[in-house]
Amino acid sequence: MKQKAPFIDSLLGFTAVVGLVALYAPLIAVVVLSFFQITRLRGVIGFAPFSLEPYAALVANHEILSALATSLTVATIASLASLVLALMFAFYFVTARRGFGLLMQVMVFLPFLLPPIITGLALLIAFREIDFSRGLATVIIGHVVFIVPVVYRTVLVRLQLLGRSLTEASLDLGASQTQTLVHVILPQMRPALISGLLLAFAISFDETLITLFVAGSETTLPIRLWAMMRVGFVPEINALATLILLFTAAITVAIGLMQRSQGERAS
Amino acid sequence: MQPLLHLENISKRYGSVRVLDGIDIAVADNEFLTILGPSGSGKTTILRIIGGFESIDGGRLMFDGRDLAAVPINRRPFNTVFQDYALFHHMSVAENIGYGLKVRGRPKAEIATRVADVLETVGLGAFGARYPAQLSGGQRQRVALARAIICEPRMILLDEPLSALDVDLRAQMQRFLKSLQRRLGIAFVFITHDQEEAIALSDRIVVVNHGRIEQEGAPEQLYRRPRTPFIAAFLGENNLLSGVLAAVDGQLGQVDTAAGRLVATADGPLPALGQAVQVAVRPEHITLSPASAATRDALTAEVADIRFLGANILIELTHPALPDTVLKVRRLADGSAADFRTGQKLNLSWAVHDAALLVPGG
Amino acid sequence: MSAAPTRSDTSSCRRARALVALRHALNLGLPILFVLIPILSFVLVSFWTLQDGQIVRTFTLANYRSFFTEGSYLPVYLSTVWLSLQVTFVNVTLATAIALFIFRRTPRVRFFILMSFMLPLFMSYIIKVYAIRTILGQRGLLNEGLMALGLIDQPIEVLLFSRTAIFVALAVIYLPYAILPIYLALDRIPANYLAASADLGASALQGLRHIVLPLGRPGIAAGAVFTFILTFGDFVTPQMVGGTQGFTFGRIVFSQFGLALNWPLGSALAVILLATTLLAVALAGLTLRREHVR
Repeated sequence: MKQKAPFIDSLLGFTAVVGLVALYAPLIAVVVLSFFQITRLRGVIGFAPFSLEPYAALVANHEILSALATSLTVATIASLASLVLALMFAFYFVTARRGFGLLMQVMVFLPFLLPPIITGLALLIAFREIDFSRGLATVIIGHVVFIVPVVYRTVLVRLQLLGRSLTEASLDLGASQTQTLVHVILPQMRPALISGLLLAFAISFDETLITLFVAGSETTLPIRLWAMMRVGFVPEINALATLILLFTAAITVAIGLMQRSQGERAS
Repeated sequence: MQPLLHLENISKRYGSVRVLDGIDIAVADNEFLTILGPSGSGKTTILRIIGGFESIDGGRLMFDGRDLAAVPINRRPFNTVFQDYALFHHMSVAENIGYGLKVRGRPKAEIATRVADVLETVGLGAFGARYPAQLSGGQRQRVALARAIICEPRMILLDEPLSALDVDLRAQMQRFLKSLQRRLGIAFVFITHDQEEAIALSDRIVVVNHGRIEQEGAPEQLYRRPRTPFIAAFLGENNLLSGVLAAVDGQLGQVDTAAGRLVATADGPLPALGQAVQVAVRPEHITLSPASAATRDALTAEVADIRFLGANILIELTHPALPDTVLKVRRLADGSAADFRTGQKLNLSWAVHDAALLVPGG
Repeated sequence: MSAAPTRSDTSSCRRARALVALRHALNLGLPILFVLIPILSFVLVSFWTLQDGQIVRTFTLANYRSFFTEGSYLPVYLSTVWLSLQVTFVNVTLATAIALFIFRRTPRVRFFILMSFMLPLFMSYIIKVYAIRTILGQRGLLNEGLMALGLIDQPIEVLLFSRTAIFVALAVIYLPYAILPIYLALDRIPANYLAASADLGASALQGLRHIVLPLGRPGIAAGAVFTFILTFGDFVTPQMVGGTQGFTFGRIVFSQFGLALNWPLGSALAVILLATTLLAVALAGLTLRREHVR
């Protein structure tokens, strides 16, 4: 049932189109410019013919490639660690006394609710106070602190959906706590674990604002890009941006479709 | 006389599924009309079509002589009480009830007086400032009613409004609904799957099944003279015996069943001889007598189970020629149950006008 | 039973108690160590001072005094609050319209429209900033395009390294963050509320005004708070598209940990930034509370 309101609908539709254009036009421009570079001949602007030159330059750029390697390492370790921690916290929340659980939850959520600049500089100062020098480890810790709340939330929702009866039935049938966890609970949570892991990976791979504080000489890809852009225009950035956009879009669509089918099954 | 609301030959399909087929219903002024049917029968779709929430694929919907096809929901001259009430949880009771007047731009003072009046009418005088979350189920029900009647429609639609209430409250709300309808003098179109509720409340019942009207009439008429096996089984309890029409005498038909020849009364035209028909007899209309007394028209059956149900005793009997049928007989629990015991053979008999002759599928 | 526990009982009991203690230690200890202590430590540092490149660990309010008296801290703070409020207002307005647009589609297509608005949320932040600069920049597509069409002779300066550029960039980057909570709030409105509203005689516009928007208010408030916090704390976008013109409060804070290297002052300014965002959360909570009591 929907009441007809052509005027309102066209107004809303127009806003939606404006919104989509604003969101996508810059991204599409980058993709197009990665294949067709802008040329200037005696002040006249035009497009160069299709070329993969920026992509070739990208493959030859060792700074970018090493930053990419760092980012992949960080994202892998951080997302796996976050998953383990998030699972631990979620089990704690559903089993421990309510007060303890809530206290834990507030602290876990804080870094995601605070502006990233606060989380970043707080970690920076804490590391400095205990003389822990900046490097790969600090970046990973910074990412884990920021990502855990997201994964925790995904995992907890699923865990609470499972309810107690499943666990109790398993224990009643003589399974140990560990057996119950491995054979009953974790398989049931697999979709949530996978989408949590992907989400964690995507956020870590992209994280910029916290990393700027806690990164030492090891730079992740976003930081490398940030540094390159400050200096000026480098054609391979368009190529790299295009690849990253495609990559994140694929991950996001996968997560979205997964959560949707999960939601459908849950409802 | 022109009906207040007239559904003329309405049909509706979802994709390739035909959910309503040739529905024809006329609602008179001041009438309490119930559309009764099992879930999936199409009764809710009928209500949604009247309310304007669904379109129709064929037929006409007339109100007071006017075609409603082009009238949008918010301009239809009647209101709905929704199944789960649909009370706006962010508005107080008074704001909920006054909503219809507010969107019509009535002045605040008028809204306040009329809301107070309607609150009195539904017996919730002191509850105007409360929020729906602070009310009991029965009170919410009354608010939903108040909200539907405040604009003084000539008819309201009620979509299974009592289904969420517990048994005691339901009986109380039934009385309240009936008296409210009489007091207001407006038509109620009531949807339910509960046949007892339909019988207790309605002036007239339309029974819907598989998107078609199965039978319509006053509650007593439907109960006493079901025309199809579906009605016989759906309204109250019935013993159904299948057979073939063997002879006809006026409205009386002789039916050959596996258990012998039975006589039954038909309501409406009789089918052709030799056609498959059914005989329906209510459990409370059957008289039991010892098998030794030879009665020509009676069935002889064996008591399989005797169940004490409070006010009633239900006696279940089996007949050797009817392997799939349990014959049910109800007696008042007045101590005479001691007369029966399982394994006993008894004669079953009934008055001819208490046996209904049914035509399957028609 | 009065019998004394056996030796094995006590040892297994002790082991179980140790496990419970370890569980609490891990689940409460880790968040305390990596969340609570860092936050407390930066608040603590804000009360110290920097003298001759050395941090002096004595309690003082000097840094906070500097905020009010020295240089351009207060004016930049105020202009950043104003900028963030503007972005918040525009984005919440747009996001409400877009969420309503999605809400009024049939359930089957809603997911896909929502998804297309959410996709940029997961796109690399730094690349979005870069992409916006590609369009807005002095040599950006917008300027080049306008010049190619002969509409302008000179690049429009205002398009990059200006407050307008920062405004546009922040608005584009943070729009999805406002759409999501608003849409989720609308999605929770029971379907039959609008049916009831229409049934009682309300037009679509009246239903929107009396039912949809009031019930969407928590989502709108959440969207506003998200947008304000994120734009107010962002220090990379203003730097990348604002150049020297875009000196926002977040950039001042960040610079204290970089070039200026005055951590105590930076911490104090960060405390003020944090207090401002908490104030925004509190204000949003307050408007919702009042709504509920009424």
